[in-house]
Amino acid sequence: MGCGCQMIEETSQHHDTAESDTDCEMSSRRSRSRQSGSSRITDEQISDLVSKLQDLLPEARLRGNDRVPSSRVLQETCSYIRSLHREVDDLSERLSELLATSDMSTAQAAVIRSLLM
Amino acid sequence: MRGPTAKSFKQGFLRSFLVSLKSCRNGDMSLQERKRAVRSSADAAMATARGGGAMWPQALLASSSSSPPTSSSWPRLLPTAAKVKTTRCKSTARRCCRPKRSSSEMIARRLVRKRTKILRGMVPGGELLDGVSLLREAMDYVVHLRAQVAVLRRVSNAMHHMAGAVAPRVQLKGETAQLSDGNQG
Repeated sequence: MGCGCQMIEETSQHHDTAESDTDCEMSSRRSRSRQSGSSRITDEQISDLVSKLQDLLPEARLRGNDRVPSSRVLQETCSYIRSLHREVDDLSERLSELLATSDMSTAQAAVIRSLLM
Repeated sequence: MRGPTAKSFKQGFLRSFLVSLKSCRNGDMSLQERKRAVRSSADAAMATARGGGAMWPQALLASSSSSPPTSSSWPRLLPTAAKVKTTRCKSTARRCCRPKRSSSEMIARRLVRKRTKILRGMVPGGELLDGVSLLREAMDYVVHLRAQVAVLRRVSNAMHHMAGAVAPRVQLKGETAQLSDGNQG
């Protein structure tokens, strides 16, 4: 166990402080631990991706937009996807109820109307 | 996703969705069955409209057609991910026993590991992706999920309004109401 290298898995520079709460500044580690791995993915790239992911999440989920630990971003992303799935489910249910009572031409008209909106 | 990309995705989605919705109007279906049919139509339409720029559409379509994705479907990805893991493990094995590692760091990393694993389960095809690709896929997937929700909401509002609009007018004219079962919730 223990080698802890499966976290985001890619970075050959992946060392102690990547993605940790305590220290997101990885420049000191990066130069020291640069290995000649086949993947050129840097810690910076990963943390850039994480912050882009953070920007996608709704404001309410993260207090402000300052540095949030990656573990938190991952957690909120999972939770957000889960809630989006639930919304799709609820809307599917609503649509299936509407479909039961209306005919297809109504549905088609509604869809066309949505297209024009 | 903004501007023309968003619009063309939404339109493509609507088009595909409408086509597969036609098969959902089978009157013999229970509400649950119809709901599942609508849901999978929506997912299939989302995946089709997204096209080839990401991995999740393929995975989504594969799972809805109920054929499980085999490793032969993604030959490129699977060996790479496995290879990366093994190589990493061997080369850093010796450093694992360093006493310098603080427990807060270990906890943080364990959390990230655990949550990455959960995220893999939430993104279609995520299990076969390496970490960086997973992050990119998750972003793409979230953006398109949001669009899916927005479109579905518009469609159901439009249908709801149409259902509501028809009945009162018919009643006012004194004709037999077609949708008079009060189903305008």
